[in-house]
Amino acid sequence: MLRSRHPRSIRLATTWLPALVRRRTGNIVATVCGVALAVALLASLGSFLSASKATMTRRAIDTVAVDWQVQAQPGADVAAVTAQVAAARHTAASEPVQFGATTGFRSSTGGSTRTTGPGEVVGISDTYRATFPAQLRNLIGSSTGVLLFQQTAANLAVAPGDSIVVERSGLPPATVTVDGIVDIPQADSLFQVVGAPSGAQPQAPPDNVLIVPTSVWHGLFDQLDPSHADQIHDQVHVRLDRHLSGDPSAAYTTVTGQARNLEATLAGTGLVGDNIGAALSAARSDALYAQVLFLFLGTPGAVLAGLLTAAVAASARDRRRRDQALLRTRGATVRQLVGLSVAEAVLVGAAGAALGLALAQVVGHLAFGTGRFGATTASAIGWSAAAALVGVAIGVVSIAVPAGRDARALNVVAARRTVGRAGDPRWMRFGLDIVLLAVALIIFWLTSRNGYQLVLAVEGVPGISVSYWAFAGPALLWLGAGLLAYRLTNLLLSRGRTLLALGLRPLTGGMADTIAASMHRQRRLIARGVAIVALTVGFAASTAVFNATYQQQAEVDAVLSNGADVTVTTSPGASLSPTSDTAARIAATPGVQHVEPLQHRFAYVGADLQDLYGVRTSTVVAAGRLQNAYFQGGTATQLIATLAARPDSLLVSAETVHDFQLLPGDAVTLRLQDSGTKRYVDVPFHYVGVAKEFPTAPHDSFLLANADYITQMTGSDAVGAFLVDTGSDTSAVAAALRTQLGTTATVADIGTTRAIVGSSLTAVDLDGLTKVELGFALALAAAATGLTLWLGLVERRRTLGIAAALGANRRQLAGFVWAEAGAVTVLGLVLGGIGAWALANMLAKVLIGVFDPPPDALAVPWPYLATVLAVAVAASALAAASATRSARATGAESLRTP
Amino acid sequence: MTGRPLVDVANVSRTFGRGPSAVVAVHGVTCVLDRGDLIALTGPSGSGKSTLLHLIAGLDLPTTGTVTWPGIGTRAELRPGPVAVVFQAPSLLPPLDVIENVALPLVLQGLGRRFAREAADDALIRLGLGELRHKLPEELSGGQAQRVAAARVLAGRPQLILADEPTGQLDHVNGTLVIDALLDAARHLGAAMIVNTHDRTIADRFPVQWSMTSGRLVHCAVASC
Ligand SMILES: Nc1ncnc2c1ncn2[C@@H]1O[C@H](COP(=O)(O)OP(=O)(O)OP(=O)(O)O)[C@@H](O)[C@H]1O
Ligand SMILES: [Mg+2]
Repeated sequence: MLRSRHPRSIRLATTWLPALVRRRTGNIVATVCGVALAVALLASLGSFLSASKATMTRRAIDTVAVDWQVQAQPGADVAAVTAQVAAARHTAASEPVQFGATTGFRSSTGGSTRTTGPGEVVGISDTYRATFPAQLRNLIGSSTGVLLFQQTAANLAVAPGDSIVVERSGLPPATVTVDGIVDIPQADSLFQVVGAPSGAQPQAPPDNVLIVPTSVWHGLFDQLDPSHADQIHDQVHVRLDRHLSGDPSAAYTTVTGQARNLEATLAGTGLVGDNIGAALSAARSDALYAQVLFLFLGTPGAVLAGLLTAAVAASARDRRRRDQALLRTRGATVRQLVGLSVAEAVLVGAAGAALGLALAQVVGHLAFGTGRFGATTASAIGWSAAAALVGVAIGVVSIAVPAGRDARALNVVAARRTVGRAGDPRWMRFGLDIVLLAVALIIFWLTSRNGYQLVLAVEGVPGISVSYWAFAGPALLWLGAGLLAYRLTNLLLSRGRTLLALGLRPLTGGMADTIAASMHRQRRLIARGVAIVALTVGFAASTAVFNATYQQQAEVDAVLSNGADVTVTTSPGASLSPTSDTAARIAATPGVQHVEPLQHRFAYVGADLQDLYGVRTSTVVAAGRLQNAYFQGGTATQLIATLAARPDSLLVSAETVHDFQLLPGDAVTLRLQDSGTKRYVDVPFHYVGVAKEFPTAPHDSFLLANADYITQMTGSDAVGAFLVDTGSDTSAVAAALRTQLGTTATVADIGTTRAIVGSSLTAVDLDGLTKVELGFALALAAAATGLTLWLGLVERRRTLGIAAALGANRRQLAGFVWAEAGAVTVLGLVLGGIGAWALANMLAKVLIGVFDPPPDALAVPWPYLATVLAVAVAASALAAASATRSARATGAESLRTP
Repeated sequence: MTGRPLVDVANVSRTFGRGPSAVVAVHGVTCVLDRGDLIALTGPSGSGKSTLLHLIAGLDLPTTGTVTWPGIGTRAELRPGPVAVVFQAPSLLPPLDVIENVALPLVLQGLGRRFAREAADDALIRLGLGELRHKLPEELSGGQAQRVAAARVLAGRPQLILADEPTGQLDHVNGTLVIDALLDAARHLGAAMIVNTHDRTIADRFPVQWSMTSGRLVHCAVASC
C-alpha cells in the first residue's frame, strides 16, 4: 500500500497514475461515469426518501385539529388535571372542554315540533376556537355563542336566532337560542372514547351536537344529580409544541412517549386521547412503504451502475495487465502493483462520487427545484456521504480487486480467457441462475399467500416492521433472469452456431460463417453484454410499469375518495330526488358529461349503524368507475348485475360477513328510516357478495343495495350525492356547480381531494421521484447498450484493424461489428423484456399493499418503453457505427504498436 | 521480366507532423518492383522501412511523389487479393481458429466458403502446419502464429507480399522457419516480396537487398553492400 515506508510506491503512484490517466483516458472517464451514475442515483433517491418522509409527517400532523384530548377520570380533581396538563413540558396551549349528554333536542318552528335522538352538549371557552381553529367550521350565523352542529340543525330545521330545547336526564328541559350553525370536521376524534382498548370498534360520532360557552354549559349541567355523573365528563384539549422529527416513525415514538409521560404525571387522574399519535401511526406505515419503494427501485439501479462500471473496468483489463507486466519488468513488487491499482480505484471512485453528487444536485433542481430534494441539511449530507462511500466501494471492487488478482496471478496469460475454449463460468455449472429463480418463486409463493403482510403494524406496539423477505423474491428473480439471459445466449452461440450463420447469411453474405465463428468464440463476452442489457431493460421496464400502475391506482384512489371527478353531496335534510330541479340543473351545467345519483342512508345491521348506498344498477359500474378489486365474490359487473336481477340483494363489508357469519343467499334484515313516519322499519335483504370499496364510502364498513328497492321500501328516492363525470376541465365545472347550487350542496372536485387524501402514499408527490428514476433507467439503458458495446469494440479495435488491413471493406467490417451489436441488443432487449414482464407482475403482487386499491391490471407505459427501446437501439447503433469507422481509420495503424 | 512493373514508386516522401517537430520518415524514394522480386529491406531503427512498406502496400499515402501499381490496378483494388501484408506483431484474429484465419482473405474476396477452406487447408499443408488447423491463435507459439500468417498470405494468392519484420519477435530458429515459409509461398506463387528485417542472416537469404538510412533508399543488388 501507499505508506511512507515505501517511498518507491509513492513515486510509482505519483508518476504512474497521471500517465495511466493519459493512456487510458476514455476508459477511465467511462468508469468514473459509471460510478457517478450509481452515486447520483443513490443520493437523489435517498434525499427524496427523507424529504418525502418529512412531507408525510407534516401532512399527517397538519390534519390534526387537536393533538391530545386528555380526559379527567371519574373522581379526579378537574382543576388539578387542567393545571398539570397546562404545565406539561411539551404543551404549547391547552383548553378545558366539558361534555354533557342530552337525551335529545326539540324545536318548534313553523307550527311543527321536531325532536332528535340523544346527543352531546360541549362546553368550550372563548379562546378555544382561536387555539384550535380546525375543530369547528362556521357555516351560518355567528361564530361565537351557542353553536349547533349542521346535521342537528337540519334534523331540527332551525336557523340562527331560533330557540331549541335541550332535554337532560333528571332535569327539566332547558331552552337556548342558536347563534350559529357549524360543521365539526373531525367529529370522530372529538367524540372518541378516550382510553378505549385498542382494537375496539370506533364509535360513530353523535348526530346531535350543541356547542356552548363554558358558562352556559355549567348552567345546563351543574345541577345534575350526582347519580347522573356518568352523563358528563371533562377533557383538556392540548396543542403540543410539535418539535418532532421528520421521520414519521421517530415522531410517533416521541409523541407516544410524551403522552405516556403525561399520563404518568397525572397518576391515573387523566388519560390521553392521542390524536396526533394516531395520525402519525398511519403515516409511519406509509413512510415504510416509501422506504420499500426506495429499496426496490434504488438498489437495483445502483447495482446495475456498479455492474456497468465493473464491465467498463474489465474491458481495460488487457491494457492494465500489459501495464503491470511492464512495471514488473522494471522491478515493481506485487504489493506495489496492488497499491497502485487501489490508488487508481480510489481515484476513480472519488472522482465518480464527486461527479455523481454534482449530478444529483442538477437532478434535484430539475425534478424537485432543490438540490436537497426538500430534505434537511443533515440528512442530505448523510445521504451524500453514504452515496459517495458506495461510489468508492464500486471503484475498489471493479478495479482494484481484479487488478490485484491479476498482479498476483503467476500466469498472466491464463488469467483471462474471454475468447477461446475456457469452460463455462462456475456459476453456470452449478446452475446458480436456476437456483436463484427457483428460490425467487418459492419466496414469492410464501410471501404472496393470502394474509401475508409486507408492512407489519401490530396494534398497540409502537414498533413497525417491514418484511424484507418479500424483497428477496423480486431481487432474486431479477438476478436469476440476468444470469439466465447469459446462459441462453451462451447456449445459442455455442449450440446454435449453424443456425446463427444461417440467420446472418441474408445480412452478411459470404461472411456469415466467419462472423458466426467469431461470435461463437466470443460468446462469453457477448453473453455478458446480453446479461447486462437484459438486467437494465428488466430494471427500466419493470420500474416504469410499477410507477405507471402506481399512478393509475393513485388516480383510482382519488376517484374512490372523491367519488367522481366532481361530487355533489346534498346538505343534510335536503331531500333531493334524482328527478328534481337540482339534478336537472347539475346535468345542464356546461362541461358535465354524466350525472350519477347515489342514495346515501344509514341502516342498522343488528346494533351497528352503517352507511347504506343505493345505486342505479344500469349505470353505476361505468359512472362510478367501479374496479373489480372493490369487490369479492364476483366482478363489479357481475355483482351489480345481481343487484339488478334480484333487487333485494345486498353487498356488505367483509367485517360484517365475519361478524354475522353470513353465507351467500342468507337473509339480512336492515333497519331503515321510513320517510313518512321517520321511524326505523325492518327491510329484508339477501347477502350476495362483499364490497370492500365504493366511491365516497368509508373504508371500514358500508352496505350496497339497489336504489329502486330502497326507494320502494322507504318511500323516498332522496339522493345523497351526485357523481359528476366531467371532461377535462374538472375545476371549472366544480366552480360552476358551486355557484349554481349555493348552500344546498357541497361540491368536491378530484384535484382538491387528491391533494388532501393525506393518510396514504398517494399523497406523496411521486411525480418527481418517477421522473428521476425513469431518467436514470434511461441513462442506464443507454450506457448498458452503447457504452459496454463501444468499449468492447474499442478493445477489439486491433482485431478489426487486422481485418481492415487484410482488405475487409466497409460492409464486411460492419458485418463483424453489427452482428455482435445486434445480437447483444436484440437478445438483451427481448430477454430483458420477458424478465421485466415477470418482474413487474411479481412486484405488483409483492407490493400489493402499496396500491390502494389493488390494481385489476398493470398499467404499461408504452411511450416510455418505446423510448427505452429507441435509446438502447440508438446507443448500440452509435457504438457500432463509431467502432466501424475507427477500425477503418486505424487499420494498419493499430498494428504498428503491439 | 516483361510487362508492366507491379509497383512504381516515384520520388516519394512521407512527412509526419508539421513545423519544427516534423519527421521526414521517407525522403525522395524512387524504385520499381517487378513480379518475382524477392527483396530484403534493412536499415537502422527509425530509418523509414515500415513507412515505405506501408506506402507500397497502399496503407498510407505519400506527402509528395506518387506510388502506382501498374501491374495490379488502383489503390482500392490492392486488398483483399493482389497485395498481402504480414506484420511484426501477431496478426491473426483471436476469435477465429487457424483455418478460418488462413481462409479469411479469400472469404473477404467473396470466394465460396468451401473453396476458401480448401485453399486454406492446401496452404497450411504446404507449409507443414496441417496439425494446427483447429487451434486458436492464443494456443499458438509466436513462431507458429507467424507461419500461419505466412500460410494466410499463400492462401490469398497475392502478386505482392509485404512483410514488416515478420521475425522481429522470434528466436533465430523460428525466424528461419517463418522466412522459409514466406519464401516458399512467394516462389510458389511467383509473387514479388519485400521483407523488412534487422537480421543479417535473414537478409542474406534474399537475392536482392535494399537498405535505408534516414528515409533514403539505397539499392544494392548484392548482399555485401
Ligand atoms: N504515425 C507516425 N507519426 C509520427 N511519426 C511517425 C509515425 N510513423 C513513423 N514515424 C516516424 O517516422 C520515422 C520512421 O519510422 P519507421 O517506423 O518507418 O522506421 P523503421 O525503419 O520501421 O524503424 P524500426 O526498425 O524501429 O521499425 C521514425 O522517426 C518514426 O518516429
Ligand atoms: Mg519498422
